[in-house]
Amino acid sequence: MDTSAMTKKELKEYQKQLKREEAIRKIKSQEKTPFMMRLRYKYLTMYFLKKVAWAIFRFVLLVGISYVILFPYISKIASSFMSRDDFTNVMVKLIAMNPTLDTYEAIITDNRYFEALFNTTLLSVLCAVSQTLICSIVGYGFAKFKFKCKNLLFLCVIFTMIVPHETIQLSMFMKFRYFDIWGIYGGATNFFENIKFMLSEEAGGLANGYKLLEQGFIDAEIDYNFMDVLFSNPQGKIHAISNMLNSYWPFAVLSLTGLAFKNGLFIYIMRQYFNGVPDELEEAAYVDGAGVIKTFVRIIIPMAVPMMVTIFMFSFSWQWSDTFYTGLFFTSTKSAILLPNIVKIPVSLDTNYVAQSTYEAAIRNTCGILILLPLVIIYMFAQRTLIEGVERSGITG
Amino acid sequence: MNENVIEKKNTAPEVVSKPKKKKRSKSLDIQKSRMGWVFIAPFLIGFLLIYLPMIVESIRFSFSEIDIQPGGGYVLVDKGWENYSYALFEDPSFVTTLMGSLTDLAFNVPAIVIFSLFMAVLLNQKMRGRAIFRAIFFIPVIVSTGIIESIDIQNQLAQNMESTTGAEGTGGLENSGSSGAQIISAMDVRVLFSGMKIGAGLVNYVTELINGVYNIINKSGVQMLIFLAGLQSISPAIYESCYIDGASSWETFWKITFPMISPMILVNAVYTVIDSFTSQSNQIMNYISNIYTGQNGTVLATAMSWMYFLVVVLVLALVAGVLSAYVFYQRKDV
Repeated sequence: MDTSAMTKKELKEYQKQLKREEAIRKIKSQEKTPFMMRLRYKYLTMYFLKKVAWAIFRFVLLVGISYVILFPYISKIASSFMSRDDFTNVMVKLIAMNPTLDTYEAIITDNRYFEALFNTTLLSVLCAVSQTLICSIVGYGFAKFKFKCKNLLFLCVIFTMIVPHETIQLSMFMKFRYFDIWGIYGGATNFFENIKFMLSEEAGGLANGYKLLEQGFIDAEIDYNFMDVLFSNPQGKIHAISNMLNSYWPFAVLSLTGLAFKNGLFIYIMRQYFNGVPDELEEAAYVDGAGVIKTFVRIIIPMAVPMMVTIFMFSFSWQWSDTFYTGLFFTSTKSAILLPNIVKIPVSLDTNYVAQSTYEAAIRNTCGILILLPLVIIYMFAQRTLIEGVERSGITG
Repeated sequence: MNENVIEKKNTAPEVVSKPKKKKRSKSLDIQKSRMGWVFIAPFLIGFLLIYLPMIVESIRFSFSEIDIQPGGGYVLVDKGWENYSYALFEDPSFVTTLMGSLTDLAFNVPAIVIFSLFMAVLLNQKMRGRAIFRAIFFIPVIVSTGIIESIDIQNQLAQNMESTTGAEGTGGLENSGSSGAQIISAMDVRVLFSGMKIGAGLVNYVTELINGVYNIINKSGVQMLIFLAGLQSISPAIYESCYIDGASSWETFWKITFPMISPMILVNAVYTVIDSFTSQSNQIMNYISNIYTGQNGTVLATAMSWMYFLVVVLVLALVAGVLSAYVFYQRKDV
């Protein structure tokens, strides 16, 4: 460029441009690994390939196991939308050719679904709330207080968890059929009835009445003394405080004393958790003048809320799908119908044809889906808290 | 000279005479232990008033026989050891079912514990979709309970009843004995293998294996959660120092992770044993339930379940005793 005809300003800019081009030329001439080589050294190493292989393997494994877990439900859900003709059609495997909601409608109207839903929800919520509270209170008692026989009592808690159901099935039924505490009410009623009988006229005097009562023992050739006679029960009629079956009372009694299904586990969990809470927290509260109960209500319970939500979810879902206790205590569906009782073939569907067992199986599966659907919905909402709660539980000790 | 001597005032401290009250307050420890009884009270009341009488009555029932009176009462007739001897020596399948469920247990418990440990380690790593996988793996705990299984059993019964009238050729294929859920039936596997001329024995074995795996997966939900909780309590600083020292992940697992969650292994083993003994899809529980509804079955079922309970306690004591000798506790005072 001809520099002579430029002004000073233009000269300065020209020099700047020259310097810039010089700098760019210098940078370009430096040693730089080309793009492909960089990629090769980053992504073709053993380390990276091992990471990728592990990620793929892990993903495939997890997806496979998820499939194993979810497949039965997928097939059940798919078959619940199939209409009657689809079951005889060989081409239909998972996707229905004539999808229909008939099965759902029939079950909801015929099997009294909403009534059962309301009853079961009420029962489950009541049981779950009371079990959560009671187990927290008892767990706190086991964790933070020293008293005599604490270990023995905790062994009793574990004992209630280990004993299988069938062992006490019969005696639980009997206990709630003729509800009596240590037989005191029955014995007292027997005693007073016998005294009344002996004092009444038809016995013909006290001594005669006693001989009449004695007669049963003499006839059966059983050893007896006068206490046996006085407390005896000649007609074999059992006196009890009440008949608690076919109502919610057995559940209330069992939940409020921490004896319901797997409550031992809940007490254990809460005890482990409260063991992890530092003592200094409580002592600070005591120093500030709070009593024990006030400390518990104001400080400990808000801290234990994640764990209590976990226990609430567990006991709610176990109570919802429970068939053992509901079958034991509810001997008829007249008083209240609960969800597990709706698993029957609805009357309005005609199932008498070739693919009868498949169709009936699909109907029963649909009943199962309807039973579990509210539970799954609630689980979806609560699952984050549930999993986090167990992680923070201090079950780890 | 001694002007600065401070004159000691001869003042004795004033004795204020108050009427002395004798305070009867106990020490703080005793007060606290009294409050402990108050907290335990619900469980204690229930246990003493309801549960213990139930156990005692149940034992009494198992030694006797019940006659339900027409007036609404019942009479107990003492029969001694007859129920127990009937169950052990004369009943056709009680002992074999018991042995069967014990062998099932011996196979399932280590498999469940190992599987859930592996899954917990997998799910503990950071990856995309970890929360979804955790949610999916926990579904069987919430959902697969007595209802699904009882529906499955009804379906299988209905299908078997229909098939013996001739429609499909499933007559003769046993339902693998246990009433656990099945993901495939032997029918499907046989169709799959029919072109390859593989014998029926192998087909049955494969079916049982797959169904066994399915059972294991469905039963490891809670254990996986406990392991996850335990894994997250190991501080990452230890892992970092291992990594710096050049340990591979295999070595890290065996030298760091495995000892530190060995208490969890004990907890899970005990929980798995208890759970599989009292679950509702157990062979022998089903058997006892069927006996319960049979003729004069109620006391027989009670006697059987007491024997079963003794077996449970034995196995539990064995497992817990053996395992706790190997557990490594980090704190020295445990």
